Amino acid sequence: MIPVFMIFAFYFIFSEGISAQQEDQTFVTHTGAVVKTSGEVLDPVYQVSEVEFDPDKYLREFNYGRVSTLENGQTLREFTIIAEDDRVQEISPGVFYNVWTFNGTVPGPTLRATEGDLLKINFINNGSKEHTMHFHGIHPAEMDGVFEIVGGNGGRFTYEFEAGPAGVHPYHCHVMPLEEHISHGLYGVFIVDPKEGRPAADEMVMVLNGFDTDFDTENNFYAANTIPFYYQHHPIQINKDELIRVYVVNMVEFDPINNLHLHGNLYQYYPTGTDIIPSEFTDMITLSQTERGIMEFKYQYPGKYLFHAHKVEFSEKGWVGIFLVKDNIGIKE
Amino acid sequence: MELDNNKSKVKVVVSGIIPFFFIILMMAYIFGPGAGLLDFGVALPEITIEKVDFIESEIQATIRNTGPIPVEIAMADVNDRIQPSAIEPDRFLERYETALVRIPFEWNEAEPYAIGITVEDGTRFEKQIEAAAPALEPTLDLAIFFAIIGTYVGIIPVMIGLLWLPFIKKINKSKYHFFLALTVGLLLFLGIDSIEEAIEVSKENLADVFNGILLVATVTALSFLGLYYAGEKLLKKSESSRLTKPVAIALMISIGIGLHNFGEGLAIGAAVGIGSIAFSTFLIVGFALHNTTEGIAIAAPMSRERKVIGKLAIMGMIAGSPAIFGAWVGGFVYSPFSSVVFLSIGAGAIFQVIIIILNMIRVECNNNLSSAAVVSGISVGMVVMYLTGILI
Repeated sequence: MIPVFMIFAFYFIFSEGISAQQEDQTFVTHTGAVVKTSGEVLDPVYQVSEVEFDPDKYLREFNYGRVSTLENGQTLREFTIIAEDDRVQEISPGVFYNVWTFNGTVPGPTLRATEGDLLKINFINNGSKEHTMHFHGIHPAEMDGVFEIVGGNGGRFTYEFEAGPAGVHPYHCHVMPLEEHISHGLYGVFIVDPKEGRPAADEMVMVLNGFDTDFDTENNFYAANTIPFYYQHHPIQINKDELIRVYVVNMVEFDPINNLHLHGNLYQYYPTGTDIIPSEFTDMITLSQTERGIMEFKYQYPGKYLFHAHKVEFSEKGWVGIFLVKDNIGIKE
Repeated sequence: MELDNNKSKVKVVVSGIIPFFFIILMMAYIFGPGAGLLDFGVALPEITIEKVDFIESEIQATIRNTGPIPVEIAMADVNDRIQPSAIEPDRFLERYETALVRIPFEWNEAEPYAIGITVEDGTRFEKQIEAAAPALEPTLDLAIFFAIIGTYVGIIPVMIGLLWLPFIKKINKSKYHFFLALTVGLLLFLGIDSIEEAIEVSKENLADVFNGILLVATVTALSFLGLYYAGEKLLKKSESSRLTKPVAIALMISIGIGLHNFGEGLAIGAAVGIGSIAFSTFLIVGFALHNTTEGIAIAAPMSRERKVIGKLAIMGMIAGSPAIFGAWVGGFVYSPFSSVVFLSIGAGAIFQVIIIILNMIRVECNNNLSSAAVVSGISVGMVVMYLTGILI
């Protein structure tokens, strides 16, 4: 009897089977340990992935629209924004999520204008649900994108208003249930430059966002610009002694705060970017939902510098990156 | 005449096949192309983290695809913080396929951990570990340690219980029936206990897809029927061999109790394995006391035999030593599925023995199972077990 159930036991215990030995792979953990495996590596940092959305491109891409001058000398900027809600995107290697997009990406395009410009935003809703565009800033009530619901499958609306005030503002869909529409990805950044402009700088946009991939109203992933750990894997290259200006917008849902901590440096911080005098010289800001601001800094020493949410949970779930400061020859003007 | 015979054979075959034809038709109607009758909606992936081992600088999770569709594993985390890790043999799991996820992690002993696995659609599955403890290395020392514990829990208490044999021998017939009935009571309790334990293990550790309660019911029934069949054969054989009927019954009781004790060994081994030292000590003391009553169960039917010392010793070993094997399996290679199966087999074996003993009593008491001796015996047996069971 005993041998019988021993055999029984081994059948169940070792039923996994022994697979053919594959070539060993190695990978490096967050703590620097090197691990060898005969299987596959599950690693959102080091694995080369074919993510559809390119955070590098998004970082420094500004959309100024189709520009013309009106009779009264005012600048007119026309944009076309198309909303969709059927796209499935690999938001982290191996993880597929149904994103709702403006012009095909999360976040949507960064729209940029100068204070006082007339904006015409042709909004087309090609999604299956109702969507709108709600811009933060100053505009008439009927341009607010809250009560002017745009139906799906080709619905249209043209938002028309003067850009202002100067600063960095979010835009997002404002259809109920709002949290669902925002957390699926219907948001973007709207930058209004002051008339007199800002000093020359290497400018970039960071949207702090997260994804609740299992719909339990808690984010499974966090990132700056959508892809978790992306800038850790692909450090953002900047030049020593060059002014860096980062437009930061917090679009995280479900969590009350988010923050941004810079290593080896401090930055001048302009909350909402509406004032030309910085409020703080700091290495750490904390932002509630849709709070945003402008960070300006220069690095004195070349090398790798981490930046991340000091709410460490968020950084350990993807919201972490590296500035690679290069000792550069020619600094852009 | 022969032609007729052939004709009727054909008729039998055809009449057997015709319903199959209709079954196929029905299936084609339900599942076939264009059949809109069954729309099951979206099939969701599901995986179960069956086992988590803590080894040096690494956490190892054994996972199984327990959902209706193949899954692709995307990510592992510890306490909901993403950790680069490895999966062997690969990240694609067919239904019921298992894989080992190796998460490099400097864990701290005795701290609780939640191990999470995320699949391709972003769903995260989690298993909570109450206290991290180093996985047991199958060393010789530990094997010996388990053997000693198994001896204390299984063999020695059963042997002590067997020491009641001379006492049982000296009593009159109705008192003897009382002790046989007492055995039934003891076993009835053990059988129910095994089933309860099996259901508990399946609820806590087994994926829903295994349908724990029905697994327990099926295995229990099959083991009961299988052993019942084998037992009847053994009893018939005993008529024509040196093996007497009481010895055959005692042997079956020993086997049933042995299977049960294997389950107890599993519980102890697993408790040591997951590092709950206090709990394992508790189990050891409780099972040891509890198991002395199993000795009585084996001794009772043998009391009318002569020269039983040797046979009793063997039966004591059969009943007690599986506790050692159980402790080994539980401590070194614990799998919830196999424990559920073993516990259920044990339950089936015990119920089979109960039937055999009741039969024996009925024959001896002229088809009467309602005597005071029998009723009080069964009751006392269950109460004794319940009271010693409280100790566990």
